[in-house]
Amino acid sequence: MEKKQLTREEELKRRKKILRERSAKIYFKITLIFLLFMAVACGFLIFEPDREYSASENRMLAQKPEFSLANLASGKFMTDMEDYVTDQFFFRDQWISLKVLEDMALGKRESNGVYIGKQGYLMQVPENNPNMDDVQNTLDRIRDFAQRHQDINTVMSLVPNAAYISTQLMPANAPVRDQSQDIALAQDTVGSFLNFVDLTETMSSHRDEAIYYKTDHHWTSLGARYAFDTLYTALGIQQPAQDYTIYPVTHTFSGTLASKSGYNRSQDTINIYVPKDVNTEYVVNYVEEGEKTASMYESSALDQKDQYEVFFGGNHSRIDITTPLDENKNLLIFKDSYANCLIPFLQPYFRSIIVIDPRYYYDDIDSLITDNSITDILFLYNVDTFMTDTSLADVLAPSAEENSGQSLAEDLQNQEGQTADTPSEEGGDL
Amino acid sequence: MIFSSIFFLFVFLPVTLVLYFVLPWKLKNTLLLIVSLIFYAWGEPVYVFLMLFSIVFNYISGIEIHRYREENNQRFLRFSFWFTVAVNLAILGFFKYYGFLITNLNVILPMDIPYKELALPVGISFYTFQTLSYIIDVYKGEVPVQKNFINFGTYVTMFPQLIAGPIVRYADIDAQLARRNLSLYKFGHGVAWFLRGLGKKVLLANNIGMTFDAIAAITPDERSVLTAWIGCLAYAMQIYFDFSGYSDMAVGLGKMFGFEFVRNFNYPYISKSITDFWRRWHISLSTWFREYVYIPLGGNRVSTLKHVRNILVVWMLTGFWHGAAWNFMLWGLYYGLLLLLEKYFLAPKLEKLPDIVQQIYSFILVLFGWVLFFSPSLPDAVRYLGNMFGIGGHGFIDSTGLYYLTGNLILLVICFFCATPVVWKKFRKFSLKAGTYPSVTATVVYAAIFIFSIAYLVNATYNPFLYFRF
Repeated sequence: MEKKQLTREEELKRRKKILRERSAKIYFKITLIFLLFMAVACGFLIFEPDREYSASENRMLAQKPEFSLANLASGKFMTDMEDYVTDQFFFRDQWISLKVLEDMALGKRESNGVYIGKQGYLMQVPENNPNMDDVQNTLDRIRDFAQRHQDINTVMSLVPNAAYISTQLMPANAPVRDQSQDIALAQDTVGSFLNFVDLTETMSSHRDEAIYYKTDHHWTSLGARYAFDTLYTALGIQQPAQDYTIYPVTHTFSGTLASKSGYNRSQDTINIYVPKDVNTEYVVNYVEEGEKTASMYESSALDQKDQYEVFFGGNHSRIDITTPLDENKNLLIFKDSYANCLIPFLQPYFRSIIVIDPRYYYDDIDSLITDNSITDILFLYNVDTFMTDTSLADVLAPSAEENSGQSLAEDLQNQEGQTADTPSEEGGDL
Repeated sequence: MIFSSIFFLFVFLPVTLVLYFVLPWKLKNTLLLIVSLIFYAWGEPVYVFLMLFSIVFNYISGIEIHRYREENNQRFLRFSFWFTVAVNLAILGFFKYYGFLITNLNVILPMDIPYKELALPVGISFYTFQTLSYIIDVYKGEVPVQKNFINFGTYVTMFPQLIAGPIVRYADIDAQLARRNLSLYKFGHGVAWFLRGLGKKVLLANNIGMTFDAIAAITPDERSVLTAWIGCLAYAMQIYFDFSGYSDMAVGLGKMFGFEFVRNFNYPYISKSITDFWRRWHISLSTWFREYVYIPLGGNRVSTLKHVRNILVVWMLTGFWHGAAWNFMLWGLYYGLLLLLEKYFLAPKLEKLPDIVQQIYSFILVLFGWVLFFSPSLPDAVRYLGNMFGIGGHGFIDSTGLYYLTGNLILLVICFFCATPVVWKKFRKFSLKAGTYPSVTATVVYAAIFIFSIAYLVNATYNPFLYFRF
C-alpha cells in the first residue's frame, strides 16, 4: 500500500517534470522571438535614417524631439518622444496594412469615421450631432439674403451624401443620419424666398450608377451631371447640351476616404464631361492668386495624391469664369468642393460665373453682386458640409455700412474670430 | 508610460532588461528603483516628487514604528502609526477626493468654496495602498522592517505594478527584495504572461471598447434593448480584458525581473455568485480591504448588525477607491448589499440551482453593476438600465442594434470564450502534448499575438493628414 502511493507520487513528479520541460521549450522559443524582435526594432530605430514624410498618410512624420528642461517638466518631451518612436517604427506602412487586415478579419465595418461598404465602396459617416443652432442661423441668413435680393433668381440645392443615397452599398443596418430631414428643414426655412431644388429623388433614382466615388467623399462628374439635368431649368438655362464627350483623366484615383480609413481596396476613375454643340470658350481667373488660365482643369493635380483637385486645382476663395456669351446672364455660386465638378456643366450658359467658397472669402458680398450685375445665384453644398460649416452665415451677413456702429464692431469681431477659426490654405479640415 | 506602447516595448523595456542583466546583484534593485522613477516621471514629471516624498516618509516611519515596537513604547507606537496612516490617507484624499468633497460641500452649504481641480497623480491609489500594507504590517509586527532604502523604494515604485496594480502587499515581496532567482525558464514564463496580457489589452479590450464608446454616445431615447445590452456586454469585456491584461503584463514583467506577484484575476465572469465574483475580480484589492479594513473591524465574528455595518463600510470604501464620484460609491454599496443578501438569504437557495443558472445570475448582476460604474451620473445610469428593459428607448431590436451585433459578433464570441477558462485550458493542454508540432504551434500563437498587437500599437499614431476640404 505504502509502496504504491510512493510510486504514484513519483509518477506525478515525473509527469510534472516532463510538462515543465515541454513548457520550457515553448518559453525558450518565445523568449528568443521576443528578444530578437526587440533587438531588430531597436536596430532599425538606431540605424535606419528617419523618414520625414509618409506618402500614404500624406503628412510629415514626427522627428526626434528637442530636449529642454521646459519640455521635460511639461511632459511634452515624453509624448513627442513616443510619437517619434511610433512614427519611425520600421515598416510602418506595412504594420498599418496588417492592422487593417486584422480589422477586416474581425468583421469591422467602420474605420475612423468611414463605413466599409459593399463592392469596394467607402462612405463617409455623416455627422450625426450637428449644432442645430448654427444650422438654423445659416438658414436664416440665407433667407434674409434672398429677401434682400428678391430681384435676382436665387436657387439652392443640397446634395445628399453617399451614405444616405447608396443604401444598397452600405454595411447592413449601419446607422445613417436621415438627411431628408435636413433637406426638409432647409426647404421649410428658405423655400418660399428662393427656388429650392431637392436632389434626393434624382440621386436616389441613379443610385445603382457610379454617382459617388468609391474611395472619396465627393460625387462623381456623372452624379453632377444628373444634378445639372434637374437644376438647369431653375437656373433659367434654355437649351442645355444633350451630348457630352467623356474623357477619363485617371483610373488610379485613391481618394480621401481610402486615406482616412486605411482601406485601400479600390481605385476610381475621374471623368471629365465636355458638352457638345455649345460654347466652351472661357477664361478662368483665380482672383486672389491673380492667375488666369483657359482651362477649368489642373492636369498637374493628377500627379498628386488628391486627384479630385483636377477640377480648378482645389478650392479657392473666388474664381471668375468669363465667356464670350452675349446674353447678360451672370451667375454667383456659393459652394463647397462638391460644386467643383458641377461648374463645368454650367459654364456654357453664362456670360460670367463668380464662384465663392465662403470658407476663404471675406469681402463684401452685396457690392460684389451689384458690381458684377449678377442675375442668378446658386447655393450648392453637400448636406454633411452644410450641416457642419458656419462660414456661409458670416459671408451672407449684410455689409457693415448698413449697420449701426454697435453691430459693426460685433461684425468685425465675428469676422476676426472666423478668420482665426478658418483653416489656412495649407491646413485641412473635415 | 503604458506597457501597450511602441516606446515601452522597444525602447524602455530592452534598455532596462539589458542593464538589469548586465549589472551585478548588488545594483539590480538600485537600477529598478531608478528606471521605475523614470517610468513614473515619464507621464507624471511633477508628481514624481510626491512619490519620492511618500517613499522617504514611509521609509522613516517604518523604522520609527519598528523602534517603538521594540522598545514597547505603546503610546509613541500608536501615535506614530496613526500619524503615518493619516498622512498617507491625507495625501491620497487631497489629490483624489478634495475636488469631490468641495463640490459637494458647495451644494450643501450656502457658500461657494473656490477650488482648483487637481490632476490625479497616476497610480496614487495603488502605491498608497502598498505603503499602507507595509506600515500596518510593521505596526502589527507581521513583517520585518525594511532598513534598506533602495529596497523599500524599489517596492513602492516597481514599474511593472506601479500604475495599475496588482497591489502587492509588502509581506508577499519582502523576501524577494533581498533574494530572488532569475532563470531562463522564469523569464520565458514571464514573456508568456506578458504576451497574453498584451493581446488581451490591445486586441480584445481596445477593439471592443470602441463599440462601447459608440453605443455610449447614442442618446438614450435612440437606444434599443439590443443596443443597450451589447453596449453593456462590450463594457464588461473591455474592462475585464483591459484590467486583467494589464495585470497579466505586470505579472509577466515581474517574472522577467525575478519577482512573483499574486494573480489579480481568476476568470471572474464564470463566478457562481457575487461572493465568488469578488474572490476572482481584482483579487489584490479585495484581499487588501479584507486584511486591513474588514478583519480589523471584526469581520464576521461579531453581531449580525455589526457584520452588516462592516460589509457596508468595506464596500462603500471599495467603491470610493475606484473614483471620487457618487456612482462609484453606489456601485460599491450595490455589491455590499448583494453580498449581504447572498450571505443571509440567497446562498443556500443558490447552491441548489444548476451551475449555469448560478453563473447567469451572477453575470447579469455584474452587468448591472457595470452600468452604475460606467455611467457619468446617477440619472444616466437609471436611463441606461431603463434602456436595457425597453423603457424610454428605441424598441426591442432596431437596425442600429443589429448593426452593432453583426459588426461585433466575432469579437464578442472571442471575448466570451477567452473570459472562460476553456480556451486557456485547451491551449495549455494541447501545447504540452509530446512532439514538435504542439510546441511549434504554441510558439506561433504567441508570436502572432505579439505581431498582431504591434500592428495596433503602430496604428496609434495613424493620423492621415486630410488635406482635402469639402
